Amino acid sequence: MRQLFSFSLLSFFSLCFAFLATAADYHEQLVLRPLPLSALLASFNFRSNTTLSAFEAHNFRFFPRSLGQILQHAGTRELHLRFSLGRWDAESWGARPWNGAREGGTGVELWAWLEADTDEAADHQWLTLTNALSGLFCASLNFIDGTRTTRPVMSFQPEGDHPNATDTNTHLLYGVLPHEVVCTENLTPFLKLLPCKGKAGIASLLDGHKLFDASWQSMAIDVRPVCPPGGEGECVLEIEQTIDMVLDIERSKRPRGNPIPRPLPGHELHCDTSKPYHSGDTCFPADSTANQDWSLSQVFGKTIKGTCPLTDPNVPPVCLQVPDARSVYISNGALEKKNQDGVSRCFEIEPETTDFELLLPSPEDLPADNLQAGQEVENIVKPETPLLYAERSFTGHGQERGGVQTILRNPSPDKEVEFIYMESLPWFMRIYLHTMQARIEGTSPSDHDPLIQEVYYRPAVDRARGTQLEVRMRVPAASTVFLTYDFEKSILRYTEYPPDANRGFDVAAAVITILSPNKNDTRSATYNLRTTSLLCSLPTPDFSMPYNVIIFTSTAIALAFGGMFNIIVRRFVAADEGPEVSVGSLKQKLIVPLRRIFARVKPGPR
Amino acid sequence: MNGGKATLGRTAGLYLGAAVLRLALFTLFPGLPDLLTGRVEISTPVTSFKRLQEGLFLYNHNVSPYDGGVYHQAPLLLPLFALLPSFAALPVFTYLLYIAVDLLSAHALFQIAESGEPGASALYTSPRRDKRWSGFVIAALFLFSPFTIATCIGRPTSVFTACAILHAVVKAISGAPVGAMVALSFAAYLSMYPLLLLPPLLLLSYDRQLPGRATKSLAQFAATNIGVVASVLGMLFSMSFLITGSWEFLPSTYGVQLTLSDLAPNVGLWWYFFVEMFDSFRSFFLAVFWLHLSAYVGALTVRIRRQPLVVLTLLLGIFAIFKPYPSISDMSLFLATVSLYRHVFPLMRYTFLVASIIMYTTFLGPAFYHLWIYAGSGNANFFYAITLVWGLGLSLLVCDLTFAVLRDEWEVERPEMVGKEIRQI
Repeated sequence: MRQLFSFSLLSFFSLCFAFLATAADYHEQLVLRPLPLSALLASFNFRSNTTLSAFEAHNFRFFPRSLGQILQHAGTRELHLRFSLGRWDAESWGARPWNGAREGGTGVELWAWLEADTDEAADHQWLTLTNALSGLFCASLNFIDGTRTTRPVMSFQPEGDHPNATDTNTHLLYGVLPHEVVCTENLTPFLKLLPCKGKAGIASLLDGHKLFDASWQSMAIDVRPVCPPGGEGECVLEIEQTIDMVLDIERSKRPRGNPIPRPLPGHELHCDTSKPYHSGDTCFPADSTANQDWSLSQVFGKTIKGTCPLTDPNVPPVCLQVPDARSVYISNGALEKKNQDGVSRCFEIEPETTDFELLLPSPEDLPADNLQAGQEVENIVKPETPLLYAERSFTGHGQERGGVQTILRNPSPDKEVEFIYMESLPWFMRIYLHTMQARIEGTSPSDHDPLIQEVYYRPAVDRARGTQLEVRMRVPAASTVFLTYDFEKSILRYTEYPPDANRGFDVAAAVITILSPNKNDTRSATYNLRTTSLLCSLPTPDFSMPYNVIIFTSTAIALAFGGMFNIIVRRFVAADEGPEVSVGSLKQKLIVPLRRIFARVKPGPR
Repeated sequence: MNGGKATLGRTAGLYLGAAVLRLALFTLFPGLPDLLTGRVEISTPVTSFKRLQEGLFLYNHNVSPYDGGVYHQAPLLLPLFALLPSFAALPVFTYLLYIAVDLLSAHALFQIAESGEPGASALYTSPRRDKRWSGFVIAALFLFSPFTIATCIGRPTSVFTACAILHAVVKAISGAPVGAMVALSFAAYLSMYPLLLLPPLLLLSYDRQLPGRATKSLAQFAATNIGVVASVLGMLFSMSFLITGSWEFLPSTYGVQLTLSDLAPNVGLWWYFFVEMFDSFRSFFLAVFWLHLSAYVGALTVRIRRQPLVVLTLLLGIFAIFKPYPSISDMSLFLATVSLYRHVFPLMRYTFLVASIIMYTTFLGPAFYHLWIYAGSGNANFFYAITLVWGLGLSLLVCDLTFAVLRDEWEVERPEMVGKEIRQI
């Protein structure tokens, strides 16, 4: 809990900066947080803003011109773009950074509020936007077509202030590409949007080799208009770029001296000696304590190249969340400041510093006098428990039909969680809504109050539109709820399968938006999370034989038609009646015309 | 088995037995209905009971079931099933409805058989007509055919269409052309393809008009009755419009059959052909397939003018093979009507072959489907091959029946040729 406080404190401070200190229009911050099981969460946050009047006058200073022009052209009021990879392991890493507000499902996710008079105009602008962003970010965003676009009604709320917006002219569109592989070519344009282009400041740590090697990473771009509270002052357009990544410290450090992954020798393993089966030849890896020593250059491969000269000097560029008891070594030209909460500290880097290095020694190396007698010091900040755990998987077998089961667990002993569960499914998964049910583990569905409170469902239309399912439901305190429904897999035309048809089709992550327990506060979502994406295998035809199938079927039809035609058209006669059909008569029939032809071709002597 | 005098008590016992058997299957094997509903041989995208339930669920929750890709069935089925007690709570009412529909179909077959129409139509009397099965046997063959029982347990909505078609025939034979047209309109409304049965049905009811109220001119009769069909269909469509509030049910029910947008596997020939079809030729071949399906109507109606019921039977067989979403329920209807022609069976040449093919495909079809979809040790070609054989076997039966009927007609002109070798020129 303390830790959440510190995180929200940081966000609050940065928000305050964004609101009040409009003179300093850009700041950046890196928050490092060691996680259990030798993982390290690195949260990069870059925020800049421009006044709306300057934006509309095409006056760009910190706001990237390339993106700004796209937004203006497509009439976009608010934009959220996510590139994500991997899976956030909530069981060991706890709650998500930014309360899940800056993460996306695997692949690319895009949602935006567009200003348009009609739905068709909004669709047209959405097409413009996705195509332009596709070019800007080198991603296949142009494949977000009608079948992958939905208009969520409950799940997403605008983050910015839209004083002039009405419900009729602002359209929320949401598109997702679960199959997209996020990689280096998406990072380069992302960094180019920054004022320092990744040459200086914390962005100099970002490197495709490390970022896309992470256990989990999410790149986010959020553009939203922010108006000062109370109505005085001018509204600003704020762009926030966020990169969150969870690095496996052991894996990141590997390339130094031992580039090939090899099993550690037995005496170097950190074992959990409390396990009953622990012995000389069995080892359960111990968590948290192992591999908690690292330096920036070890895990990122380089050091921070000074500070970005444009950044707000009041915001410390690097923060580290470890208990105050642990000591941290930093390079010259930097200043350590411990925060009040006792679990975080920030580092201020002097402008002329060229390299900033940070080293966190292993807790075993701590001087003995730091340990107070009889009290065990925690080496890392204990992760906060998330409000909800969600796991989604397929049930059933075979390529004909199946089911989706989402297991939602509320860890809180006394608080009920209310949330919106949103799925946007491809059209070839035909879901049967009448089979949807929610039940608490260990009971039958009829035993308790309805868990599902409201359902918004827009069924799929073949080849035109995907399924959109939004369910407002609740999970009582300390219980596990199973949400299940059936679906049928349809067989596609053979040209509609991708080249790797038997790999299966990616199904986008379900988005869970936990609502604020305060009923009046409908706008703010307190916490977001996404399940993993799924892989749905459809029945496949034989791709090698379209010609054969056409020929075989045509033959079968021709046989039936020919047989019928024969019987209907021809007359019956006794076997010995009618014209003779024999080899002789056939020969005669052939020879007579042939002779005639020969006679014409070879005129004999007269 | 042959020619037994059907008393009322025996027939009632037969119906009771069939009903009890079905009810027992429904209740003693609770997993069986859902298992059979999931079989592609029984449930097609346009008849599936599970899709009907989904449509009903959406209808009950004020979501248009036609604004989606799941429900492709007629709108009037929705209020019908909404009137029944909820299937989830009291499934027995649905079971009873399907059993009743089966019994109604069987009774219609009973009446057709007892009318003597298959052997002796208005314009033609077969010399072999005495060698026939009674209505009791026909009804029993229909009710206890494994295809019919499986269909009833699987609860596709095609049974309603079958029942309407049979009742249209009964009405036509009994001299009630308007009733026949109304029943046919219902069948056409439910599944569209029965509209192709209109020409032979018109002829059948024209031939069987009651002497007192007969219309002499065929053209006038046809115009009147086509008007009846059109007005009943118009009424049904406007009722559907009132129920669903828009015309979007038209593309979603009939449009799907015309364009085959849902390629779910079934026993027919269309699905795999259009899975593998090149995109640029898709609409051309759709047109060709529909043209092929409707081409038989005119030819058979003209050629077998004297026996319109034969034309109806043959067309039912052709539809069971070549329509976009056929299932074994169409097959069971066709086999039941074929059994009305017991008297021409001796003239058929390939009965053993056809019976073997039907048995072969009935057993291998599900096995190959399992290999493809579940075991993964076969591919789509396995099931496709079986549907090809199934189609070929059934078309052989259709051709053979045509041959037998035509030869039967020919032998009236040439009585001396009975039992002799013949050929066609």
